[in-house]
Amino acid sequence: MSGLYSQHLNRPWMRTVRNVLIALVLICLAVATLFPIYYMIVSSFGAPVEAGGASYSLFPTKLTLDSYKFFFDFSPYSARWLLNSLVVGVITVLGNVLFASLAGYAFAKIRFKGKRVLFFSLLCAMMIPYQVTQVPLYMLMVNQLHLDNTYAALVAPTFVTAYNVFLCKQFMSSLPTEIIECAKIEGCNQFQIYVKIILPLSKTVLAVMAILTFMNSWNNFFWPFLMTSKDYMQTIQVGLKNFKFANTTYFAPMMAGATISALPMFILFFSLQKYFLEGVTIGAVKG
Amino acid sequence: MKKLLAMTLALALAASALTACGGGSGTSGSASGAGSAAASASATASDAPDTITMLLPPVSSTYQDQLSVWAEEFNEMYPNLTLEFENASWEDYKEKLDVQVNAGTPPDIAFVEYDRVGTLADSGLLVDISELISEEQLADFDESALEFYRLEDGLYGLPIYISVQCLGGNRAMMEEAGIDWQSVQQNGWTFEEFREAIKAGATDDHYGFIFACAGVTAADYLNIMVKNAGMPAPFDEDLKFAYTSQNFLELLKCLREIIDDGSTPEEMSSVDAGKRWNMFLTGQTMIFGKGLANFEGLAAENNAKLEANDGTAVEDSIEADYIVLPVPTFFGEPQQAQGSAGGYGMFRTVDEPDPVHQANVMKALYFMASGEPAAFTCNELYLSGLSESSRTAMAAIENEVPRSEDNAAAMALLTEQAAPARPDIPAELTAQATRLMDEVIVPKFQALLAGETTPEEMYEAVREAAIETFGEDGIVVD
Amino acid sequence: MKKSGLAGVNAGRKWRLTSEDLWGYAFIAVAMIVFCVFTVYPVISAFFTSFEEYKPLGSTFVALENYKTTFKSDLFYKSIRNTLVYTVFTVPLSLCVSFIVAIMILPFKKKVQSLFKSLYYLPAVASGVALSVVWLWIYDPLPTGLLNSLLAKFGIDNINWLGSSNTAMFSLILMALLAGHGTQIIIYLAALLGVPNSFFEAADLDGATFLQKLWYIVIPLVKPTTLFLLVTGIIGSFQVFMNAYMMTGGGPDNATTMVGLLIFNNAFKYSDYGLACAQALVLTVVIAAVSLLQFKLMGEDVEY
Repeated sequence: MSGLYSQHLNRPWMRTVRNVLIALVLICLAVATLFPIYYMIVSSFGAPVEAGGASYSLFPTKLTLDSYKFFFDFSPYSARWLLNSLVVGVITVLGNVLFASLAGYAFAKIRFKGKRVLFFSLLCAMMIPYQVTQVPLYMLMVNQLHLDNTYAALVAPTFVTAYNVFLCKQFMSSLPTEIIECAKIEGCNQFQIYVKIILPLSKTVLAVMAILTFMNSWNNFFWPFLMTSKDYMQTIQVGLKNFKFANTTYFAPMMAGATISALPMFILFFSLQKYFLEGVTIGAVKG
Repeated sequence: MKKLLAMTLALALAASALTACGGGSGTSGSASGAGSAAASASATASDAPDTITMLLPPVSSTYQDQLSVWAEEFNEMYPNLTLEFENASWEDYKEKLDVQVNAGTPPDIAFVEYDRVGTLADSGLLVDISELISEEQLADFDESALEFYRLEDGLYGLPIYISVQCLGGNRAMMEEAGIDWQSVQQNGWTFEEFREAIKAGATDDHYGFIFACAGVTAADYLNIMVKNAGMPAPFDEDLKFAYTSQNFLELLKCLREIIDDGSTPEEMSSVDAGKRWNMFLTGQTMIFGKGLANFEGLAAENNAKLEANDGTAVEDSIEADYIVLPVPTFFGEPQQAQGSAGGYGMFRTVDEPDPVHQANVMKALYFMASGEPAAFTCNELYLSGLSESSRTAMAAIENEVPRSEDNAAAMALLTEQAAPARPDIPAELTAQATRLMDEVIVPKFQALLAGETTPEEMYEAVREAAIETFGEDGIVVD
Repeated sequence: MKKSGLAGVNAGRKWRLTSEDLWGYAFIAVAMIVFCVFTVYPVISAFFTSFEEYKPLGSTFVALENYKTTFKSDLFYKSIRNTLVYTVFTVPLSLCVSFIVAIMILPFKKKVQSLFKSLYYLPAVASGVALSVVWLWIYDPLPTGLLNSLLAKFGIDNINWLGSSNTAMFSLILMALLAGHGTQIIIYLAALLGVPNSFFEAADLDGATFLQKLWYIVIPLVKPTTLFLLVTGIIGSFQVFMNAYMMTGGGPDNATTMVGLLIFNNAFKYSDYGLACAQALVLTVVIAAVSLLQFKLMGEDVEY
């Protein structure tokens, strides 16, 4: 619990009233935010009929799992796609957590020549619209390296992203420099500082980064789509979307597809919750 | 000491990253090198094994399921050749094909809609097959259908279907409004007749007419109407841009009038394709566009579900018979339905094409575009085949879809009257017209439908932009 | 004497790499390699393409033709303006909302915190395309549409949400605001949880109010995070095109044509890849300038 809020130690009821009020506001906002999701899930229980989905009842009049069945019936590769997505996601997360945090720390706390220029050029990398880098990247991967239909091609461009380096850098620059100086005086080298001090203090942001990266990797469609032509190398997003009801008039199966592919993310998100809800107390580390 | 450690770490990190990349590329690079060497060594023998790759959208409802069947059939005919398919949704396949074409390594065969021929041929990678196709193969196809894939002197693909754009109507509602739909199917109708009909057909419960115009589909509406207003193509016989004629202005006025009449809602400007079909099924409109041949089957399917009353029919839908209707004609101009063709194109890569491989690809291209595969696709789309062999195969299909005779006759008539393809329009002009259409005409047209601009203002904007693109001499002035 | 001594040190520093330098390079090595191969290389390639009329079988050099076309095009300026409007309304607003929500989630117990966080994050997890379709239903233009039938109960006239140029942009902005803040809330929360409690305890002793603590402690401490979210938000917003592509196709009357959509159309629809590259590079320069400005405005006391 944060010390930002008054604890109202002498009047505990005040605290209750306040929290209830805040919760009410939050719930109202959440309802507005979640409405489309709710609607997506509700419509996924409709029958897999063409153009049958656009009915505006808030509560499903009939529930059928046909749209889900429609989904699992079709491909011998469904399990393989899930596995591919998982492999790609995990490798991407590891790459980013490890190397983006190293780079982020260097950009935040280590003084080295060319730091500003390198960092800003890294930032510029994020500003280039993907539509124009896609073709040269495709040529590099397929025409020159012949890496199409490999995990390497799926992982490589997002192995360390500028976004994550930037996120780490911003977060780590708010860590007090004094701790690092202390550690140096005690004879730690930069790598030891990174492992013993920075990593533990950055748990929260690294957990956030891991989940965001995994989610992006999981939801990424276009790049894996470009890089795979063989069924068995596709990720779940590519596989699902290339299925025939990509024809957007099959509403219910499309919503079912979206629900299914979001499900692993929901689960992962809930199970990882505790890791990134732990506030980091610098005081404790110091002690 | 510290420095040394740091440097070692730097080197180790860099090295590991390099080997990660280099190792992968090295092995696969050499492997593929060996592969291509083997391929070229055996290139002299035409029965050397070869794989033909194809990138395909979901052309008809069970098309993708059928692919493996065709692959086997093809493999039986040519035991050394293997077909390899890659499926993608309509939007995605186009995007991937574009990236691959730009990168210089498209698949051997891809589905190509006739209106993409110009752009793709312009890239130099869509192969002119007129030298590769045999006499008999060519003779199998209707010449009028091949026209869609001709560009100047070249032939850039083989068509499998031509679908004629039309409107669709709800039979019961039309009869109630006193419209003799059979006469309309046989004789067509003028805009004035159409206007009266949809005025009569608009009731408190439903609109007289609705056309899906959301986003880019607004182009469809304008395109099919403009054909019947004396402008069968964006360019006239002298290759002057046609949409600057007075007819275009008058057409815009007409299209605005039916909104002002209250026969069709202004909100039509954001009704999307799915919504318009849903509106037909749920009885919210009497006539709708655009109509597609296979809607007849979908409507019949829904009617059967309603009868069975098992809750699987579309929510709130009513029993509705789908009637094929021609687009009205304007200012006494002839009926010239817009036909749009779909078919397969052959691609090469930036590497010099290997004649043996191209001959093999030609075999696959012809196989897919004719006979049973084409017949199957056409049957599912409620369309007729474009080649002798596919029509023969169609006759042999057992579960040929049941079609109403009236609708079939109407479709046949419309196909006969379809505006001919225009292989004489250079790709360059087509590309400019497409851009003008997307960047000026359609956006202004959306504004016109939403009541934010007048026909006169829109016409002026189009004229100005056309002059800028084609010059004063490049446009029709009347 | 002192002066020259200093100069000597500086000159020495220029040539000799200190251990600090080496550590820095070691730490950023992998990131920079990935960056060079997968970003610098394509960008250089795009840069050269922007001077060409691109054809896979041999491009023609057209010098500045693509740039001239870009700067002569009214549509390009209009799309830049649309993108700016979209950015100005979505990014700061969504940042404020996210910050306030994150602050409001703080006083609860961990379980409740997780619950709220998950709820707000859900839209970010779901597929964008499926959600666009849901939003299309919400914005159904006919009186039977979801939002219209709801508003009709309050006596508000039917609105042609995406079909009228008065409301199309607003509709896209509303959609972005409601669907886009999950990630930001999570990142803000991570930053807020990193604020040491001892700061608040000290402030409490001084008798600081809630707003004072917010203003003097929280906001300065999360400033790097705010800067991060602002810069990435603006970059994302400048490149946005999926919404317009799915929902309006850029219409009506180009009221929602964004630069991203224009580049996409040039690259894919018209196969005018050279022009797409030129426009993308112009866009990049614009974003870079805006980002630099933000760093200057916000980043002076942030170590950068």
